[in-house]
Amino acid sequence: MDADTAIGGPSGRFPSTRVSLLEAAASGLSEGALDQVIALYWKPVYRFLRIKFQKSNEDAKDLTQGFFASALQRDFFARFDPAKASFRTYLRMAVERYAANEYAGENRQKRGGGVEFESVDEFEIATESPEAEFEREWRRQLFSLALDDLRTHCAETGRQLPFHIFEDYDLGDRDRISYSDMAAKHGLPETTVTNYLAWARRTLRTFITERLRATTSGPKELHEEMRRLWK
Amino acid sequence: MEVSDSTLEHLLQVTLLPDLTGTRYEIESEIGRGGMGVVYAARDPDLDRRVALKVLEVPISGEAQLIARLEHPGIVPIFETGTLPDGRCFYAMKLVTGVRLDRYAAEDHTLTERLRVIRRISEAVAFAHSRGVIHRDLKPQNVMVGEFGEVYVMDWGVEAIAGTAGFRAPEPVLDQLSDIYSLGALLKLLLPTPTPPALAAVVKKAISADPDGRYSSVSAVLGDIDRFEQGQAVEAWSEPVWHRIQRFASRNAVLLWLLTAYTLVKLVLFFWRRF
Repeated sequence: MDADTAIGGPSGRFPSTRVSLLEAAASGLSEGALDQVIALYWKPVYRFLRIKFQKSNEDAKDLTQGFFASALQRDFFARFDPAKASFRTYLRMAVERYAANEYAGENRQKRGGGVEFESVDEFEIATESPEAEFEREWRRQLFSLALDDLRTHCAETGRQLPFHIFEDYDLGDRDRISYSDMAAKHGLPETTVTNYLAWARRTLRTFITERLRATTSGPKELHEEMRRLWK
Repeated sequence: MEVSDSTLEHLLQVTLLPDLTGTRYEIESEIGRGGMGVVYAARDPDLDRRVALKVLEVPISGEAQLIARLEHPGIVPIFETGTLPDGRCFYAMKLVTGVRLDRYAAEDHTLTERLRVIRRISEAVAFAHSRGVIHRDLKPQNVMVGEFGEVYVMDWGVEAIAGTAGFRAPEPVLDQLSDIYSLGALLKLLLPTPTPPALAAVVKKAISADPDGRYSSVSAVLGDIDRFEQGQAVEAWSEPVWHRIQRFASRNAVLLWLLTAYTLVKLVLFFWRRF
């Protein structure tokens, strides 16, 4: 497993008590707030650095680690002004500045020697801009974390069957069968299948909202992010 | 959990479709999408009728109950407001069939017909103002013209996050004068080119950047539109003398023709007797 997936790792708690990013930071919970940010943004930042700065896999991981490590030391949350930009934009700009500074430092150390970029793998050559890739990876990671939340919640509350139906129907990449075929496959009434799916989708949306709440400055930015997500 | 591109797309779709558990409605399909939310066609099985269900990403303002009590032929009736299990708010309202005002404006209609439509919109807004309700987001997307010419104004009292450029008044806090600005912008959209100068003046006054420079009420806008249609001078325009004469001639064409004919007959008789 790549180091990035381990670092961004799943959260095992029902996140209904999550507070907004600024509330957490204002309460002196900078590390807790940062945990939420890292869980959601580690992969988007890593992908962004790889594509924007053409960093190798290991260099991009180191830079990403370095960025989040320095975020706590540099009063990262206190400098965030929701009136100027969304937290996502603020974070991406901060990453860019951090990477540019690191690049300049690297150059100084080499006393003018040319920096050799390692070539990225063929599959890493994105057709989208680094910024668009950052957005797409953010969206993917948000769903990924919310799915982990949903799975854990189902396991803790004895709802394995609804999750199994949801996993079989909504998470598979193959062509989807009809609800009646799904009902026959699992030996359940069709209404039970549709009820399970409706419940799982609704709960997934709740977890997504809670993840967003923990990484936005308040209700206004939360609604704006939700609007962008489902645009 | 890893999520592929196709799964992500599918999840975005299924989490967007509203879960109507706890409501009386069954979702049918998405019929429209805007900055504030998504509109779905839904069915009310209890009453066996179709409704439009607007699911909002922003909270419904405190005026919702007041709006729901607005009963006017030009205002789309709201049957119910509520909250979905995921916390989003919704309106259930009459499902209107017809064309949106921007599409209607692009179609071939006479000036008289276009003015009839703006009059119906203005009457609905004037009625709402008399009940203390401000629309806040009057724009072509919120007006429907039905197949029998009926006009409906929708989405009352829900202020858009960003507003719609060209239709939202510039002032930060919206009031009745802001609705007058939007009405002026709708009138401008509806008017043909070249626009009669008197109506251009009505538009100019209604969309004045300074709220104090606008009409003081919707009734005042309607008054000027009435005056234009009756061939009278509009209050928004101090017309030149030549235009006043032209308007007089246009209003009194029959009388002028009779006078001319009478004069001609008299002249003919005069010369006939002399020679």
